[in-house]
Amino acid sequence: MMQTLRPLLLVWLALLALLGVELGGAFLRLGHLFGGLLLLPAGAMVALVGLFFMRLRHASGLSRGFALAAMFWLVVLLGLGSMDPMTRTLHPVAMTTYP
Amino acid sequence: MADIHSTFQYSTPAHRSGSSLDGMWLFLATEVLFFGALFLAWTVSRHYHAAGFAEAARHTEISLGTINTVLLVTSSLAYAAGLAFIEQGDTRRLLQCLSLTGLLGIAFVCLKLLEWHDDFYEHLFPGSGFALHGPDPGGAQIFFSFYFVGTGLHILHMLAGLGLLAWVILRAWRGAFSSRSHLAVEAVGLYWSFVDVVWLVLYPLIYVVGRPG
Repeated sequence: MMQTLRPLLLVWLALLALLGVELGGAFLRLGHLFGGLLLLPAGAMVALVGLFFMRLRHASGLSRGFALAAMFWLVVLLGLGSMDPMTRTLHPVAMTTYP
Repeated sequence: MADIHSTFQYSTPAHRSGSSLDGMWLFLATEVLFFGALFLAWTVSRHYHAAGFAEAARHTEISLGTINTVLLVTSSLAYAAGLAFIEQGDTRRLLQCLSLTGLLGIAFVCLKLLEWHDDFYEHLFPGSGFALHGPDPGGAQIFFSFYFVGTGLHILHMLAGLGLLAWVILRAWRGAFSSRSHLAVEAVGLYWSFVDVVWLVLYPLIYVVGRPG
């Protein structure tokens, strides 16, 4: 039984370590652009929970397909949705004064 | 031996279980896109209101958020261990693990409600009495709109998960599960860990990313 529980415990420790990285990063001065890098540990944590606690490694092909499709459409949603605000240049409009 | 329910439209009980888990994953895929819209709103709003988001993030209680993350991650571990135990036919250990999972989930909800109480007390709920008046108060209000909607939707999912957990515990108590038949334990476990996954994304968006400024 310990052979089954050991990987789960190791994953749990890895999750806590990644949480520690996130927590430490919260107090670093990374700036607006590099602050997004602090999402990388969260991505690794999501992958660990999916693969080990949700057993995606041993899931059927269809289940894995649904999980991959969810990630794919999420990337499409976030990518296309943020394309316009990330690339648009905002020009300030001069104040109009009337006599 | 296949029972009458599994022979009706499935070739074997394993076929029925597999199809149910496939269905659960499909449902979770729709949930990903449900929360995806919220994450997109955060991304776009932060882009236009970086200063307001940074100021607001510094007013969140990162200690409570971090403790809650530990609670949820540990609850997922407890549930996964319970599933491993029932696969060995150990119902007593399953019940212990699921009870621990439930207690950790309840502790999470209580801490979150405490955090909300503090936020209301500090006038961080968006509206006319909003407390932050920095360089971009509008952006800070948008951040806290995201905060309350995101954590509110997450708590609703937690409550649904706790209800499902209570149902599984009751069935386990009545001896409904065995090493060969425990589909409900597996399906509810997927939902519980998914709620954990949503929090793992919300945690950095609320407490971490904006904080460094």
